Amino acid sequence: MQKNRLSSGGAIDRSKPLTFYFAGRTFSGYAGDTLASALLANGVDVVARSFKYGRPRGVMSAGAEEPNAIVQLGATEATQTPNVRATQQALFAGLVSHPTNGWPSIRFDLKGLIGSLFGRFMPPGFYYKTFMFPQSLWMFYERHIRRAAGLGQSPIAPDSDTYDHLHHHVDVLVVGAGPAGLMAALTAARAGARVIVVDEQEAFGGSLLCSQARLNDEVGSVWVQQVVQTLAAEDRVLMLPRTTANGYHDHNFVTLHERRTDHLGDQAPAGMTRQRMHRVRAEWVILCTGAHERPLVFAHNDVPGCFVARSLSTYVRRYAVAPGERLVLSTNNDYAYQSAFDWQDAGRTVVAIVDARAEVVGVWQQAAERRGLRLIKGAAVTEVKGARRVRAAAIAMLSPDQRAVVGALTWLDCDTVATSGGWSPAVHLSCHTGSRPVWHEQLQGFVPGPTHEQVLSAGILSGQSSLPHCLKSGYQAAVQAVTAAGYAAPDEVQPTVQEWAEQPMLPLFAVPHPKPKSRAPKQFVDWQNDVTADAIELATREGFTAIEHVKRYTALGFGTDQGKLSNINGMAIAAQALGQTIAETGTTVFRPNYTPITFGAIVGRHCGDLFEPKRFTALHPWHVAQGAEFENVGQWMRPWYFPKPGESMQAALARECLATRNSVGVLDASTLGKIDIQGPDAREFIGRVYTNAWAKLAPGRCRYGLMCGEDGMIFDDGVTACLSEQHFQMSTTTGGAARVLEWLELYHQTEWPQLQVYFNSVTDHWASISVAGPNSRKVLQAMGTDIDLSAENFKFMDWRQGQIAGVPCRIFRISFTGELQFEINVPAHYAVTVWEQLFAAGAAFNITPYGTETMHILRAEKGFIIAGQDTDGSVHPYDLGMGWAVSMNKPYSFIGKRGLQRADCVRPERKQWVGLKTLDPQVVLPEGAQAVADPQQAKPMTLLGHITSSYYSAFLGRSFAQGFIKNGLERMGETVYYPLTNGQMVAAEICSPVFVDLQGDRQNV
Amino acid sequence: MSNVIAFDPCALLGTPVQTPLAHRVRSASSPEVTLAEAELTGLLVLRGDATDADFQAAVAEVFGAPLPKRLSTTESTQARLLWLGPDEFWIWCEVTALFTLEQSFRARFAGHCALVNNTGGFTRITVQGAAAQTVLMKSVPYPVYADVFPVGKVVATVFAKTQAVICRRGEQHWEVVARRSFADYIWRWLVDAMSTR
Repeated sequence: MQKNRLSSGGAIDRSKPLTFYFAGRTFSGYAGDTLASALLANGVDVVARSFKYGRPRGVMSAGAEEPNAIVQLGATEATQTPNVRATQQALFAGLVSHPTNGWPSIRFDLKGLIGSLFGRFMPPGFYYKTFMFPQSLWMFYERHIRRAAGLGQSPIAPDSDTYDHLHHHVDVLVVGAGPAGLMAALTAARAGARVIVVDEQEAFGGSLLCSQARLNDEVGSVWVQQVVQTLAAEDRVLMLPRTTANGYHDHNFVTLHERRTDHLGDQAPAGMTRQRMHRVRAEWVILCTGAHERPLVFAHNDVPGCFVARSLSTYVRRYAVAPGERLVLSTNNDYAYQSAFDWQDAGRTVVAIVDARAEVVGVWQQAAERRGLRLIKGAAVTEVKGARRVRAAAIAMLSPDQRAVVGALTWLDCDTVATSGGWSPAVHLSCHTGSRPVWHEQLQGFVPGPTHEQVLSAGILSGQSSLPHCLKSGYQAAVQAVTAAGYAAPDEVQPTVQEWAEQPMLPLFAVPHPKPKSRAPKQFVDWQNDVTADAIELATREGFTAIEHVKRYTALGFGTDQGKLSNINGMAIAAQALGQTIAETGTTVFRPNYTPITFGAIVGRHCGDLFEPKRFTALHPWHVAQGAEFENVGQWMRPWYFPKPGESMQAALARECLATRNSVGVLDASTLGKIDIQGPDAREFIGRVYTNAWAKLAPGRCRYGLMCGEDGMIFDDGVTACLSEQHFQMSTTTGGAARVLEWLELYHQTEWPQLQVYFNSVTDHWASISVAGPNSRKVLQAMGTDIDLSAENFKFMDWRQGQIAGVPCRIFRISFTGELQFEINVPAHYAVTVWEQLFAAGAAFNITPYGTETMHILRAEKGFIIAGQDTDGSVHPYDLGMGWAVSMNKPYSFIGKRGLQRADCVRPERKQWVGLKTLDPQVVLPEGAQAVADPQQAKPMTLLGHITSSYYSAFLGRSFAQGFIKNGLERMGETVYYPLTNGQMVAAEICSPVFVDLQGDRQNV
Repeated sequence: MSNVIAFDPCALLGTPVQTPLAHRVRSASSPEVTLAEAELTGLLVLRGDATDADFQAAVAEVFGAPLPKRLSTTESTQARLLWLGPDEFWIWCEVTALFTLEQSFRARFAGHCALVNNTGGFTRITVQGAAAQTVLMKSVPYPVYADVFPVGKVVATVFAKTQAVICRRGEQHWEVVARRSFADYIWRWLVDAMSTR
């Protein structure tokens, strides 16, 4: 039974009844309802329990500003959505919703009992003050406080819907499609500009959707429809209803959160994303965000049945719902009268209109008299009675300064109280830009202040209150924007609107009560955070005089509410307590998001398999087919090791290492960065970025180089080949490729632009197949090549060009294993062919593919570093014992030369890179373990340095490690100790970091 | 010895070729979009001083089309030239013609420049259809409206979480050039983007 549903009127579709669920009960509403209007139609008064005191709360507004009716939505675990305002959620068939508050249930809330008995003893800062000691228990307290408060529940199951992003660039973005916004969008569209116009509501029109104002002598919705149709016909205009401009970021970048299917059902239809984040770069932004009506602050103003005045017009006229029988309206301005008239037109009783202005006589007051309504002037509602619904309202006559009550209270029987304390422009988006709002005396509200963005405001946000002025300001803002964007201004076409003489509003925020605020029943300022007028006064008494401090101490305007209803009232109460004006007190500002948005919309399609790019080499499908395990190396998916069926990782590594040392192994090295360097000054440039000398490197030869930052610390290394006099190919680490290219370009552009040289990344062009082991030469010969592979004609650190297996190639005889090794480079599109030929030719030699782990073991056995593993930005070449790779005598300086001579770089006692042999050869030290000299030393122990690389070597038949030890190069043979997290103490002997083939016999064959 | 080493990437034709998306079905379609990876195409990256008259003349003579102006392309029967930056140009051509063009340019222009064969490094994905522009709008932050991104325009820009070179080749015909190692990610992103309205 929809007891509050009107028999006619409204923009609902009575032919489409919808069943929905709230708090486990079944209700019905109509298509066109919001969840809030449907609940009100069904006479549901209590929709939530309050955050701190657990008090029963009802719907009190009809839009984004709703502080109470916040629900949990979703029929299944996968579709749970917390933080939905019932006033913004369109009703659909089968909608399932729950209150987010109330424990153990909304009807009996334990906290409500505590709140009502002890609420007086729960001042602001209560939780911090009470649960502070002992501090260690705060985490325990907090868990229970949070459960009792309850702010909705995160879904546990993965979201079954998808979300996406869409990028836009427009001349004009209009936020808000009320009269000013529609006029601005229409004007910009007529100028030919590219326009997006958004509105958070289901339909465009804003205040015209429930207003009685006539445009061109017709109801407002007719004009709205005409404008919408005109805009729809423009292909440079995008209209987005159900879309909230949730954040205004730097450089006129605005994110729009579009709820595409939330009005259709629990889940998005197939083939459609549920929500979309529009990422808009706008030349100009026109904010027409309107205003929120301020409720008056009075005692027990949170009892269900208390509404902001305009919301009653909205419920009656848009949704054909009159949520009560007997209304008392309390106002300080003309605009609220319409709500009482609408209430009366709906066949309900208006008990009284209470106007705070003592001497007011204008068109609205005359109209009230004509309607036979009781009008009480110079008064306001000061208290209501009732628990789950208003039962009566007390009317107080106000003193001339509105600070005190004069005479006795008059109690009026009623079940609905509507109040209006004026309108607060929605400056939230403007604040996101860093703009401080400024006080508008006539409007008694804050409006946007100066900003550095190209943003304009129109409508009530720009300080206009009458409809004709709002429309005009929309036109003017659009003209300013489009002309600045280079379009001609279109002629002004305004609908005719009847003007009326407005009686000035009376500044009134908190209604006085016969008792002081600290003794009177609770007077709520911020419903969502349970902040009372008394709490704000207390905060000022406790010494919080800056409004930002008052906000933080009381939680005023916190959370998802962002102070929409409460901010100005809170400022006004603080200002009065501090004896200053609101303008002097100032305002807090607002942060994104304007209303809550889902994580799904933020993430878009950047999730699951598309969360992060994966880079693949040309040989990846082969690795997959061989059952390789992969590791992620700077987005590259590299084979980690190639286990045989049932083989453990350790066994696979032992097999791969031994096969390589004893016969031949193959690594896909395609991921290493490769930079083609051409130009007359290529050689000179390379000499300046590497620490060693390059002047004499002949074509056909390669050289290893270390790259340092200005501070002398190593940041990358690699082998560079001289292809010809003016042509080199540099290789970098896999993860460092992009950074090194950028580094070269940076120094070329900013330091040495006179050097004639160009750098081009060829990383992806070449596939690199690294063949290592004593039989590698034989395998290459078996593949068929026109390159002379003999030891005499193709020496270590030579490179040659030719063909192999019928494919053009370059072969580099370099070694990262210490073995005889050839790195075959072929264009990536031939990689599979060559790789398959290689394995065919190598079968006779037990050719074995290996991954990055075996590569690590083999290089560590030989004492080769990995930049980024054995270095960490605080390591210079001498620390690594690699002074041989530094030439201090080059004619031109190199990057890092000066840094290497800093006092800190040449001081004694630096940590130096050495080998470490555990005394127990089977113990593998964990990487990162710290060395100490004295295992008996009391904590904190003196740390000598850490392990950087540590493995078990099947070839050596023992563990081995490398790491830093203070002064390590001079401490060969000493024993150090590694205390581990499990309490074990591992002794190790300092030794050379080269464990295999110190003389280089194996690679020079 | 020559200043720069010569290397013919297709000295022996007939060797099987794997394009970067060879492991996938190289085409896909939805009601309003079709997607396809192009066959292997020759790619030369040319770096040089675009204000040098001789450099301009050499490009025009060898490739049959003038150096493209900012963010645009030029085309001849044998090559398509793309502006990538003030001193960087891409030249797409037949794989079989690439080495001859490269050699001809080196022979014709003696000044400082770099000419690099990057054929294996990239692949071209065509995105066509009524919703192709929307798919692009889901993927790149760059404006792709027809009035600011006309046919023939080319930009290198952010693509999802990587980068791509995008070129409009017809009202409803786009070319997305992906770096080889990122091609699979870009392909999967496009297939996903075209699957939802």
